[in-house]
Amino acid sequence: MNNRQARMFAIASTGISVLVFLILTLDSHRQFDTLTNAENITPEVTHGKDVWHKYNCINCHTLFGEGAYYAPDLTKITQHRGEAYLQAYMRDPAKFYDENKHRRLMPKQNLSEKEISDLIQFLDWVSKVDNQGWPPRPILVTGSFIPGADSVAAVAAGSADNPAGIRPVTDDDDPRAQGEHVFRSAIPACNACHSTAPGANMAGPTLAGLVTRAEAVLASGDYTGKATDVEGYIRESVIAPSAHLVPGDMYSANGTSFMPVGYEDSLTPEQLDHLIAYLATLK
Amino acid sequence: MQYRSQSVAYWYFAVAMVLFGLQLVFGLLSASKYLGPDPLLYILPFDVTKVIHTNLLIVWVLTGFMGATYWMIPDESRTELHSTRLAYIQLFLWVIMGVTAIIGYLFRYGTGNKLLEQPLPHKIIIVICMLIFLYNIGMTIKKSGRFTTTEGVLMLGLVSSAVLFFPALLHYENYTVSIFYRWWTIHLWVEGVWMMIMGAFLAYLLIRLSGADREVMEKWLYVIVGLVFIAGILGTAHHYYWVGVPTYWLPIGGFFSALEPAALVAMAIYAYTAIRRSGLAHPNKLALHWTVGSAVFTLFGAGLLGLAHTWPSVNKWTHGTLITAMHGHAAFYGAYAMIVLAMITYALPSLTRHRPEGGSSIGYWAFWLQITGMFGMTLSFATAGIGQVYLERIMGMGYLDTQLKIQVHFLMLIATASIFTVGVALFIYDFFRFAPRFIFEDEPQLEAGVTRSTP
Repeated sequence: MNNRQARMFAIASTGISVLVFLILTLDSHRQFDTLTNAENITPEVTHGKDVWHKYNCINCHTLFGEGAYYAPDLTKITQHRGEAYLQAYMRDPAKFYDENKHRRLMPKQNLSEKEISDLIQFLDWVSKVDNQGWPPRPILVTGSFIPGADSVAAVAAGSADNPAGIRPVTDDDDPRAQGEHVFRSAIPACNACHSTAPGANMAGPTLAGLVTRAEAVLASGDYTGKATDVEGYIRESVIAPSAHLVPGDMYSANGTSFMPVGYEDSLTPEQLDHLIAYLATLK
Repeated sequence: MQYRSQSVAYWYFAVAMVLFGLQLVFGLLSASKYLGPDPLLYILPFDVTKVIHTNLLIVWVLTGFMGATYWMIPDESRTELHSTRLAYIQLFLWVIMGVTAIIGYLFRYGTGNKLLEQPLPHKIIIVICMLIFLYNIGMTIKKSGRFTTTEGVLMLGLVSSAVLFFPALLHYENYTVSIFYRWWTIHLWVEGVWMMIMGAFLAYLLIRLSGADREVMEKWLYVIVGLVFIAGILGTAHHYYWVGVPTYWLPIGGFFSALEPAALVAMAIYAYTAIRRSGLAHPNKLALHWTVGSAVFTLFGAGLLGLAHTWPSVNKWTHGTLITAMHGHAAFYGAYAMIVLAMITYALPSLTRHRPEGGSSIGYWAFWLQITGMFGMTLSFATAGIGQVYLERIMGMGYLDTQLKIQVHFLMLIATASIFTVGVALFIYDFFRFAPRFIFEDEPQLEAGVTRSTP
């Protein structure tokens, strides 16, 4: 190969690559709107995107797996957490997580209520973009699909009554934050059998999308319990699991749910209220 | 130093050194936040230290590129620069841009778009600096009438860098589309046109240091450029995984980024054979260390570690974890930090007074401590990342709980980063230890010499 041939090789390979790349770019533009549900990019979503940029979120979090690796991925966060939870969280993250436990904490961002709700709209739009099904398994913020896997740190930290994955709460905290604490600290702990990740059924069904499913159950003719609204349904499921059975041989037999009974006695009425307030955020 | 105007390179290098030092300060701060709790949570939170860390990297490496170009072009074209005044104006604007951008970031004044956080006014100044720079270099070459292949590759790399910055100036309504074009700037810079710049510096250094035959070296430089672009341009697709673009980008990304190491293997062989064939005759052995080191570390960091997680079925699990940080640190350091340090080490004995040509023992300590430190940092990110992938992505443990379980790797990160920092501190100390040769000091001597030799 002489100098001229080498030059031809460089020019030709660059030229062909550029050409193919541009053709694919054009074709991608043809598909962007469908893949990203562009018709759902409302002014709220756009404003939410500006909020995302304004507060430099991407330099701690990832979105579509892109960003910094200091805080959890948020691609599907609106499918893991309901709007009420996310709103309360954005008002003050310290009410939900403890810096001494996880060694890091999201600083309070002082967003306006409008900014918070538009940001959630934007994240919800993101969660529905067709991105080849990534992540292949839900990325959780805390907790685990594996029962007990997150309690090791709590034992090591010498605070067995406050399981890892949740900060200690006080009465001043948001009821939903206190409810999340109950979710992990009740005996038996709810998270031993239930995940909050979509599709991750353990001993009990996943509680992701609980509210949506409860609404559907109540509206269908198959409901056998006494509740009339979603909160009532959740309360009934906790204290009287067999009143209405979720279909599946792995969840019940002979008309009796496998879920333990006795939460009505082991939890105080306030704890029960908090738990239900938390569960009612899982949309 | 054959041409007086080459001395502008010193000031570019000096600025690059200061920014490099600052970059490490913010890097160490960011790393320590992984251990937490963070006493600076409301003063300097992670997002601020991280954005300053990455932006300083881009700015100092570009400053280094500019300085190295101002050094190399007169040598190649055998002439003085078109205008040293323009070069200084450009540096002044550039520094103002950099300093105000960083002060702005402290107050969260930025676009919040990863790696392109510079606010619009700053981006416009960047474009102006680029234009002054390209004009100055272009005029120098035009006036001299001597245009080498090495220069050609360098110029094409610089012009394309400027052109590819334009998509970054536009606004996109759709977040996915904005990601799509962000990588036109970032990816096509670091895995495309910056590779041309690096290849040109590498060729220049190898020709000078090893005395290798220019004809042969420039022929292979073409081949390397061809390989870089075959893989690099369509390799952009590996940034299009999982972001909401058509699925055909997945196999394209997998195939073409698997080819990317080819160019880097070629570069390493290129450096090695040049040295083997021509021996180690050049006195500046320290510059030779940096030059060959850069080629080898690039192969490791950009080539091997990139390949490790570039295939879609692997990347599905590793995407957005510390595995990316592993690759990013080693690749950027090997390809760009080291080539700039190589150019500085090569040019420095002529730019400063009384500096030993072969480099000092401090210089060698700086080299080996940096290599060791960066290798250790890469391993720390790798082990942390592997732990994270298995616990969080595969086993399904929560993000925060996983991060607690991989704390020991963050300790290792800080330990090795400290070794790296000592290496960089020694390099910076060695840089400033000898005073520069100021033009006004050289002038009378030169004039005297001229008068004396005139009959």
